[in-house]
Amino acid sequence: MPVTVLIVDDSKLARIVAAKALAALQPDWSKIEAGGGAQALELVDRTPVDLALIDYNMTEMDGLELAGDLRSRFPDMPIAIITANIQDEIVARAREIGAAFVAKPVTPEGLEGFLSGAALRLRAARS
Amino acid sequence: MADGVALGDLERDALTEIVNIGVSRAASNLRKMIGDHVILSVPSIDVVSQRRAARLITEREAADLIAVRQDFTGPFSGRALLIFPEANSLELVRAVTQGELSADEVIEIEREALVETGNVILNSCLATMANLLRSSLSMTIPEVMRGSGATLFGVEDASPSDGLVLFLYIDFAVRRLDIRGYIAMIMDLPALETLRALLGDFIARVVGDDG
Amino acid sequence: MADATAEADRLLAMLAAAGASGTWDWEIAADRLRVDRRFAELYGFDPAEGLSDLPTARFFAAIHPDDRARMRIAVAAILAGAELFSKEFRIVTPAGTTLWMHARGQSHLDAHDEPVRFTGLLVDVTERKRAEERLRIAQSAGGVGSFEYSDGFATATVSEEFCRLLGLHPAQALPVRTINGVLADGGVPLIPEPSREPPPETLDHVFRVRRADDGDERWIARRGEILPEGSGYRLVGVIYDVTQAKEQEARLRELNETLEMRVASAVAERQEAEDALRQAQKMEAVGQLTGGIAHDFNNLLTIIIGNIDTVLRRFDSAADPRARRSLENALKGAERAASLTQRLLAFSRRQPLDPKRIDLDRLLSGMSDLLTRSIPEAIAIQLAPAADLWSIEADPHQLENVILNLAVNARDAMPDGGSLTITARNVTAGPDAERIAGVPDGAYVLIQVTDTGIGMTADTIAKVFDPFFTTKEVGKGTGLGLSMVYGFVKQSGGHIEIDSTPGKGTCVSIFLQRQHPGAPEGNEDIETPAARPGKLSETILVVEDDDDVRAYTVSILRELGYRAVEAHDGATALRLLERQETPIALLLTDVVMPQMSGQELANRVRTMQGDIRVLYTSGYTREAIMRDGRLEPGVDLISKPFTYHMLAAKVRDLLDRAQ
Repeated sequence: MPVTVLIVDDSKLARIVAAKALAALQPDWSKIEAGGGAQALELVDRTPVDLALIDYNMTEMDGLELAGDLRSRFPDMPIAIITANIQDEIVARAREIGAAFVAKPVTPEGLEGFLSGAALRLRAARS
Repeated sequence: MADGVALGDLERDALTEIVNIGVSRAASNLRKMIGDHVILSVPSIDVVSQRRAARLITEREAADLIAVRQDFTGPFSGRALLIFPEANSLELVRAVTQGELSADEVIEIEREALVETGNVILNSCLATMANLLRSSLSMTIPEVMRGSGATLFGVEDASPSDGLVLFLYIDFAVRRLDIRGYIAMIMDLPALETLRALLGDFIARVVGDDG
Repeated sequence: MADATAEADRLLAMLAAAGASGTWDWEIAADRLRVDRRFAELYGFDPAEGLSDLPTARFFAAIHPDDRARMRIAVAAILAGAELFSKEFRIVTPAGTTLWMHARGQSHLDAHDEPVRFTGLLVDVTERKRAEERLRIAQSAGGVGSFEYSDGFATATVSEEFCRLLGLHPAQALPVRTINGVLADGGVPLIPEPSREPPPETLDHVFRVRRADDGDERWIARRGEILPEGSGYRLVGVIYDVTQAKEQEARLRELNETLEMRVASAVAERQEAEDALRQAQKMEAVGQLTGGIAHDFNNLLTIIIGNIDTVLRRFDSAADPRARRSLENALKGAERAASLTQRLLAFSRRQPLDPKRIDLDRLLSGMSDLLTRSIPEAIAIQLAPAADLWSIEADPHQLENVILNLAVNARDAMPDGGSLTITARNVTAGPDAERIAGVPDGAYVLIQVTDTGIGMTADTIAKVFDPFFTTKEVGKGTGLGLSMVYGFVKQSGGHIEIDSTPGKGTCVSIFLQRQHPGAPEGNEDIETPAARPGKLSETILVVEDDDDVRAYTVSILRELGYRAVEAHDGATALRLLERQETPIALLLTDVVMPQMSGQELANRVRTMQGDIRVLYTSGYTREAIMRDGRLEPGVDLISKPFTYHMLAAKVRDLLDRAQ
């Protein structure tokens, strides 16, 4: 079952770290990367994406805004907001738009809950 | 030191502990990023003039410094800095990229990697403090600065009033990699007043009636 | 699980036995506290309560009320995610004793960074606390700061006093670089830079530092021990301020270093003073000697000249022209001897001066003929007195002598010809005018005699004023010229300077003080006075201890027509005066006589006969009859040797002078 993960972060380092954690948990899944919100929206128009890992703190468009956009287009897509800004308020806002919250730096342990949940939902949706 | 704005012993203790928690979180994150043990010092907290804050840093580091700066606004506003000697910069970048990159790539990614590292560390620290004080802060995108302590604290362009700031710093060191640095935070006076109120609430919650 | 608990219990017990004061284990989720026996004892828990399943609030039970809030905050931090716990606080034991505890703990996090347990160790640090207190007081009271450094570390552990001594913000640990940053000069670092050099051989060293806070430069001494540790080492030492000692040392050293120099300069100064004194003593001695000789000599010359003079006056020149020529030669020789004596006296500053207000312009033009006659044609003479010269006061005869002397010296310095310039002008030395070395502030008339001759070296200049020093060949000069000039100038209250360059010429400058109008102007009747006769009604008392001189003097006076009575000393003269029926018109007395001086005699005579005139005769004159180098009014002086004509003129002049 091919799964494509969209990683959005304006930091290359952060994308590397997230990709590494992803590869450790789901080595078969493929990933596409975007350095910002606009690029991400462009990508999803061309490429089908199964789930998204979105950085919160980005310059042009913050992660919650992008997540909201994606949510309206893909109501069922598992989305995670990734940030070190673990303020209760941010966590609450992520929940509001149906996004999971993963603390930075992304580790396999931190990502595991979200990914296994997403895998289950994807499998359910496809079956 | 202006007594009117100086923190009481208990307020200072509370703030120290809150910073301690925030920095513990930051250290834990740094540890995750570089996969090595991070040693923290006990946080030091002072209400000092901006000039003195700059001197406190330069006194401890003669060499040129590099810092990731993040400004925050909310019930209290200020500036958080992750500071380390410029010579440590590439070593830190190499550590956080965990040997995934070639030497050339490390240099290429240096700036961006510093921003991300600072982002993770300062964000987690500030966010933890905000949570503990039951308030919310908005934070800017971090930026990298280079220069002396005076540059980093913006005391070079001698503002007419050399205002008092809350200066707190905590040393961190990664012995094996010879990386060391400081996390420093400065808050202006109106913010300090709000902070005192928030600390008072926090103390009341924690200490309760026990006194 | 039970096994694990038992194991943990055993471990805690062992730790307690090894000296740990107590341990605890706080289960956060379950909100339960477990402590060991020692912890329970310190806290005064009832043993029956058991050591586990305690409410967590019990953790704060024994904590001193003043520390309780602080500890609650610290524990809250751990429960909220802080990792480390390291606190010192006081507890009050059931017995009421206050003890200092150091609690060291750690939170245990789950996979999601959530704290689940909080464990730690409680150590009684009361003794250490007291020792620390003593150490802190010892350090601040003694101004000693301590440090500890493990090799390879980037920071050193320091005491508060350590920071204070270096002017650094108090901290428990300082980066090595910061500490070494206060050193004023490179070289030995206060703390070795990490992984750079082998361990130092000793910690004994003194550093110059620039304090970080006030920039003050201080001297700091470091002492301590180097303790080997594994493959590395650890330094434990102290620093203290030795600036005062260092400064004293530096002052002492400087004192020592400059001692030799200061001694040398003091010795040189003393040497100079001694030289000057010796020179003055020499001059004085020579002066005394020459003065004494001149006195006797003048008496002899008076007799010789007087007698030759007498013979010549009575001699019929037609009878034996050859004998007359011989007598005239003898007289000339005696006169030369007299002038030599005069010069000796001038040098010894014992010549009687008769200062008068002088119009220098007139004096110089009057000398023009004399100079032209004395100076050969190969030398161009220029006499250039400035217009409106101030008046000066000096002995005109002697001043002429001086100028003539200098002119003759100039002539002798220019054997192949050249030019001689004599100028006179007004000069003022003082704060508003030029300063002239060696010349006190004041107004002067400056007379300069300049030649274009062979000049003199500095060595020669230093000696020219010495009597009998001469650059001339033996027989060509007496060597008294310049010393006479010097004596005259000094006696006249003036100053003299010589400026000379070998091969270029010499310039002698004489500064004579400006005389403000008032002093009598000298009528320069230098021509030989005509002998004017006396009358028998005019009695002259001659007092002279030298029989020959007295006889000669008396004979002249009688020849001149005066009535002369004589005495060989003062006492005789006074007795004679008492018996005298007719008044004495004039007392002619030698100045220097044994028992009673001429001056004393004159004073006594005046009390007996107030209107008496006094004429002194002298080979030289001491201050006895002079006041400020001048004769008193109503008194006159005739220098020995004197001739018939000179005495005749002087006596007549004095007797005719209106009282």
